Amino acid sequence: MKAAARSGFWRIVDGVGALLTGPLARLLEELDFLAIVLISAGLVTRGQWRFLLRHTLQQIYFTAAQRAYIFTVVGLIIGALVALPLIVFGIRDPQLLGRIMHIMMYHQLDPILAGLFVAGLSGAAITAELGELKANQAIEHLAAMGVNPYGFFVLPRLIGVVLSLLILAFWLNVGVTVGAGIMLNVYQNIPMSVFFRVCVSGLSYGSLALTGGMVLAQGIHIVLVQTRRAFQVRAYVDIPRALPSAFAQSFIGCLIITLLVSLLRYG
Amino acid sequence: MRLHDLRLDLCPPPPPFDFQAMAGETWMLVGAVGSGRRELIRTIAGLAAPRAGRIELFGQALERMGPRARARLRGWIGVVLEHAGLVPAWSVFENLALLVRYHRLVPPSELEEYVTAFVESCRLPPALLARPASELSPLESNWVGLLRALVIKPKLLLISAYLPQETLVAGYGVWAFFEEVVAPMQMTIMVDAGPRALPVSAETHLLIMDQGSLLAAGSAADLAGHPDALVRRFAYFDHA
Repeated sequence: MKAAARSGFWRIVDGVGALLTGPLARLLEELDFLAIVLISAGLVTRGQWRFLLRHTLQQIYFTAAQRAYIFTVVGLIIGALVALPLIVFGIRDPQLLGRIMHIMMYHQLDPILAGLFVAGLSGAAITAELGELKANQAIEHLAAMGVNPYGFFVLPRLIGVVLSLLILAFWLNVGVTVGAGIMLNVYQNIPMSVFFRVCVSGLSYGSLALTGGMVLAQGIHIVLVQTRRAFQVRAYVDIPRALPSAFAQSFIGCLIITLLVSLLRYG
Repeated sequence: MRLHDLRLDLCPPPPPFDFQAMAGETWMLVGAVGSGRRELIRTIAGLAAPRAGRIELFGQALERMGPRARARLRGWIGVVLEHAGLVPAWSVFENLALLVRYHRLVPPSELEEYVTAFVESCRLPPALLARPASELSPLESNWVGLLRALVIKPKLLLISAYLPQETLVAGYGVWAFFEEVVAPMQMTIMVDAGPRALPVSAETHLLIMDQGSLLAAGSAADLAGHPDALVRRFAYFDHA
């Protein structure tokens, strides 16, 4: 009886330990994967850079150019939704409105939303595509015939998605600002030019660099999680399982990155 | 290709073995299920690490090479595994051109001509090139997978797949294809393609595997008189 209770206690301790060290272990695995990808960048020969550039541009096209319309619509709607509570509370001070936009939207929610969309749209597509190539042995074939799978499949996606996320986060900020500006103009009679001016005047190089760094980290995290999950696929049946878990993991990671940067910024 | 004291990563650990294959030789792997044929191909292809031993390809020991040199050397190896391994979203041309372009085997301006001429030399319809890989039948996919391994004119061809017995052209079988297209390339070939994949004559080189190790290697005629009954069982010829 006592022995059973003792073994139950140690199982709980073991479970709690695994729960606490799990995220750290995943972070270390992700950093390990990033190191492999960066080393593979060093192995790219001069003639292969053209190849890499072509695939990176394709990724930017699929991630940023093809999604620009969605981000415009989403930005305008979210801008309008953000403006509504401000209108209800009767906040008319343009300086305060600009400050709210900065703290709430530009620094936190917009990068999270951009990350959410990129993880859900492009990230899932990357996991599905590479998962299929892993399941049908295309990656193994090419690796055996001298193609570095990390340099060829992961690196262009990493660069492409990071650049796209920077562009899309900026574009979402523009959409949100325009959406909020229109609503405030209609309901509060705040001139749009005044609103835009206070929004822009609050920008500083420091805050831009911090937000840019945060978006960069989010983009790297999304691609590493999605490609790593795709590389773990063994058969076609693993792909439907890999997609939601990769999405959830990459989105939670984006939230944690935003939280850490916000603590650094305001804490 | 030389294998020195190679011990495949199998359980239980198999005994080590040596093996050597020269340019222009075709070696057919034979053995029971689980004898380590697939693992041997995967180990030579660099997809699995050996438990111990040394692999030497084209006179160079793999473990002493840096990653860049190893990648360049792997550019001389054609590999065909169980699945065709094509990129489904790409056309057949893009799939075939990928390795030629990646290893810069021909100038970009001559790429299309090179790939088209290669496909025609294999007696396959050039119209195949424009089709997306996702729309190919399993037979067509297998053929394109084989062509992708051959289009780089490899020095070593490793096949671990059931070769399609039919071709895309009536009356032109895989045996004729190997004689007309593959044999003149003078490469070392190691085939694990199952029984009856290729004709076995008295001169055909057989590599007989058992329990993850090499049981015997030599021509089918020599092995037919081998003292080991298991070797004699696999050293058949004239009936493929």
